[in-house]
Formats: sequence, C-alpha cells, structure tokens
Amino acid sequence: MNINLNIWRQTKESTAGKFVRYRLENIDPNISFLEMLDILNNKLIKEKQEPVVFDHDCREGICGSCGFMINGQPHGPQKATTVCQLHMRAFQNEDELTLEPFRAASFPVIKDLSVDRRSFDRIILSGGYVDINTGEAPEANLIKVPKTNADEAFLSAACIGCGACVAACKNSSAMLFTSSKISHLSLLPQGKKEAKERVLKMVATMDDEGFGSCTNTGACSAECPKEISQANIVRLNKELIKSVID
Amino acid sequence: MKIFKALNTSVGKKIAMAITGLSLALFMVFHLIGNLNLFLGPEAFNGYVLKLKKLGFLIRIAEAGLLSFVLIHVYSGIVLWLKNKRAISKTPSYSITSTPRASRYTLLTGSFVFIFLVMHWSTFWYKFNFSKGNKTYYEIVLGPEVGFGNIYYTLFYIIAIGLLGYHLKHGFDSAGQTLAIKGTKYEKTYYSLAAVFWFWIPFGFISIPVYFGIILRLLG
Ligand code: HEM
Ligand code: SF4
Ligand code: FES
Repeated sequence: MNINLNIWRQTKESTAGKFVRYRLENIDPNISFLEMLDILNNKLIKEKQEPVVFDHDCREGICGSCGFMINGQPHGPQKATTVCQLHMRAFQNEDELTLEPFRAASFPVIKDLSVDRRSFDRIILSGGYVDINTGEAPEANLIKVPKTNADEAFLSAACIGCGACVAACKNSSAMLFTSSKISHLSLLPQGKKEAKERVLKMVATMDDEGFGSCTNTGACSAECPKEISQANIVRLNKELIKSVID
Repeated sequence: MKIFKALNTSVGKKIAMAITGLSLALFMVFHLIGNLNLFLGPEAFNGYVLKLKKLGFLIRIAEAGLLSFVLIHVYSGIVLWLKNKRAISKTPSYSITSTPRASRYTLLTGSFVFIFLVMHWSTFWYKFNFSKGNKTYYEIVLGPEVGFGNIYYTLFYIIAIGLLGYHLKHGFDSAGQTLAIKGTKYEKTYYSLAAVFWFWIPFGFISIPVYFGIILRLLG
C-alpha cells in the first residue's frame, strides 16, 4: 500500500515547527505503524536528511513511551490501542495521514513528535506511592482485599502514563492520569493511610505543572489506549471531598 | 486548614462551583413557583410578593447568600477558565476536537447570564424594593418600563434564560461527576432530574414572557 504523510517537524520547543510531506510506496499492510516510520527514517538517513524523532520503547503497549496524534486522534483511530500496536492495515491505500505531537503547554516539544512528559513524573513523585517497609514479602492472606476492589484497582493501574488523555482534552487536563494513579492506591488497604495527603499533594502538583482543569466531557477516556474510565475522576473528586470532611 | 488547601486546587474550585451552581439551580425552582403566580392574576402575584416582604430580614439574608453563591461560582469559573487557556499549547492542534458543544461555551453562556442577572437586579429587584411608586408589583413586571410590556426586555429575558438552560445542560451533568454522585445509589435519580433543570425549569420561566410579552401583544 502507498501512504502519504504530513509530519510535524520541529527542532526544539523554542523554534517554530511545520508540516513536511513524505510519501512511502509499497508498504506491507501487516507492519506496525512505528515500523512504517522506521522505514521512512531509513530512507531519510540514506538521503542524508534528519530522521523523524518519535518516542517508543516496548512496542507492545505497556510502557507508555509512544504516542502522537494521527489525524487528530491520540494514538490514531483504533480504539484501545497504543500507536506501537497499531498496524498499517487499519488504513487504506493512498490515505493522507497527519502526524503531530501531543499538544499541551505542560508537554513541551523535545523534537518532532517527541514531547517532554516529565510533568507526569513530578505528579507521581508528589504522592503516587505508599510508604511501607519493603523486605520480606508479607503473608498474602494477612491483608484482605475484596475482589471488586482488586479488580477496580487493577483497571486503574493499567494506565501507562502516555499522556493521550491530556492531548485529547480541550483544556489539556491531566485529570484522567492523576485520578487513575490516585485510584489504584486509594482502592487498596495499603494506600489508605496516606489517602488524604496524597490527593491534596498530587492535585496541587498537577495544577502547578500547568495542566488545565477538568470539565467532565469524557474526551480523555474515549481516547485512552487503556480505556481508563471516568469512574477514576469521580473517585479523585470523592477523595478530595473526603480529605476535607473527615 | 485542609479546606483552604483543597479550595486552592482546581478540583476544589470545581467542587465549589458545583455546589453553588446546583444550589442556584435549586433556588430557581422556588423562584419559578413564585413567578407562576402571574398566571393567577394581579391579586395572587401581589399577595405572593407581599408575603415574601413580610419575612423581612430573612429575605435579606437569603439574598446575601444567593449573591455570594453567584460570586463564588463566577469567580471559580473565571479562574479555571484562565487556567485552561494557559494550559493549552501555543501551537494550535490541527486536529478536530469532538468535545460536546455545551461544555465549550459554559463561560460564554454563564457570562451572558451574569449580565442578565445584573440587569434583573437593577430593574425588578430595585423597583420592587426602592422605587415602586404607586404601581403594584404585577404592573411593574408586565409594564412597559422594565417589564414584559417592553419587547426588547422580553426578548433579552427569553434569550438569557434559554442560555442558562444551555449552561445547565452541561453544568448539571458535570456537577454529578464533580460531586461524586456518579457511581453512588443516587446516580439514577440525579441524572433523571437533568432535563427538569436544564429544560423544564427554564421552559417555565420563558413561558411567562412568551405569554405576557408576545402572545398577549399579538392578540392585541
Ligand atoms: C452568573 C454567571 C455564571 C457564570 C460566569 C458561570 C460559569 C460557569 C462555568 C465556567 C462553569 C464550568 C463548566 C464546566 O465544568 O465545564 C459552570 C458550571 C456550572 N454552572 Fe455556572 N455560571 C454562571 C451562572 C450559573 C447559574 C445562574 C447557575 C444555576 C442556576 C449555574 C449552574 C452551574 C452548574 C450546576 C455548573 C456545574 C458545576 C460543575 O462543573 O461541576 N451557573 N458555570
Ligand atoms: S489515563 Fe490513559 S491516556 Fe491518560 S496517561 Fe493513562 S493510559 Fe495514557
Ligand atoms: S512503545 Fe511502549 S507502549 Fe508503545
């Protein structure tokens, strides 16, 4: 198949970027999207041009490194799929694809399609952990966790921190990410102890990092490759209310 | 104190906005019931206003409460809106966004409602309290000066209430998530009331200028 690409090229945050057109012919529809970009980059290198910078690591949908916009959708058109798990067969021969980085003031562009998402790390650092002694693993049956809580916590913990939720939001809000990181701890007994402090600290850091506020439109969940649900945002709100009331 | 820490965050401000917004929406129900007395004729309406007046300072306290709720709501709304403007990238995304329309225009619809409120107070409220003259309340409301006898005022009123309904179309939904009503056993009841607040209550308010300001005028 043949593919026409409009790719955002930008050397660093402070310089202006622009779209550049590329065309690839005879692409195997069964290769992955990132493999298609690898082919493009090989071609560019051979032609002594700068390759397109994009983030990736595991290429199996679990690390959260990859992610950019394809035709206005974070991670592209396929539901519940990171861009590394997307295949060219999701597109048609001669499709026009516009690739641009996740856009948010808190995600400055590093180069081309790669953005700096360390603002997420700083949210985690401010409270997304539990303070417990490590050492020998405790007896598993000592801490009882209801099955429903375990399942819900697992779903929340599935967030890979890719940032697609911020890119999908009209306010560049990080509520879905932050709420999933608060949820997976607050749902489990180990996370209860620091729950009140945690929510206040993480929300304050999220604000300080310059992310917008949530207007409850649900655009984030619709685009999240891990289908993190709005229930997490509800849980964050509840945690904040609880931190004040009792 | 924890509460100030919480209110300092964006989520805290959203919660303040949701509580004040829902309270104002609830107040509108009582306001509407009072207004509907207009359909029962001059005695009913004038009698109702006089009854309220008899409550004296209680009414003043309620008014002060409502005003502070409006101010808290508007203040949080504007602070968050500014924060959101700063949060988005300076390079616009070339992507298409699929955000529900009503949620994009909350500040705009809200601001229009605020202008309306200021006008509402400086006309009806001011006249009722300080410059009634020898007119009855009924005559002021339906009169040509600031009432539905004035076609411009009538149209402005209809538009403002319509936009308030649109504001609540998103606002009521949003508040359910902000206040964590979603996911509780009250969720169904809450969301089944959405149309009452965003459609039927505004519809009730609008029925008054439509009847007295337009239908009666057309009938001569
Ligand atoms: C006076 C001018 C007003 C302004 C400037 C204003 C502004 C706003 C803004 C910016 C939002 C945020 C919406 C979002 O989450 O996307 C909002 C939410 C809301 N507004 Fe207003 N508003 C005004 C008046 C009112 C009035 C009169 C009512 C009620 C009758 C009301 C009820 C609500 C409710 C229930 C919410 C939802 C809160 C939430 O998101 O959790 N607003 N308003
Ligand atoms: S919530 Fe979803 S979209 Fe947001 S960072 Fe986590 S996995 Fe990515
Ligand atoms: S490269 Fe790891 S999730 Fe895509």
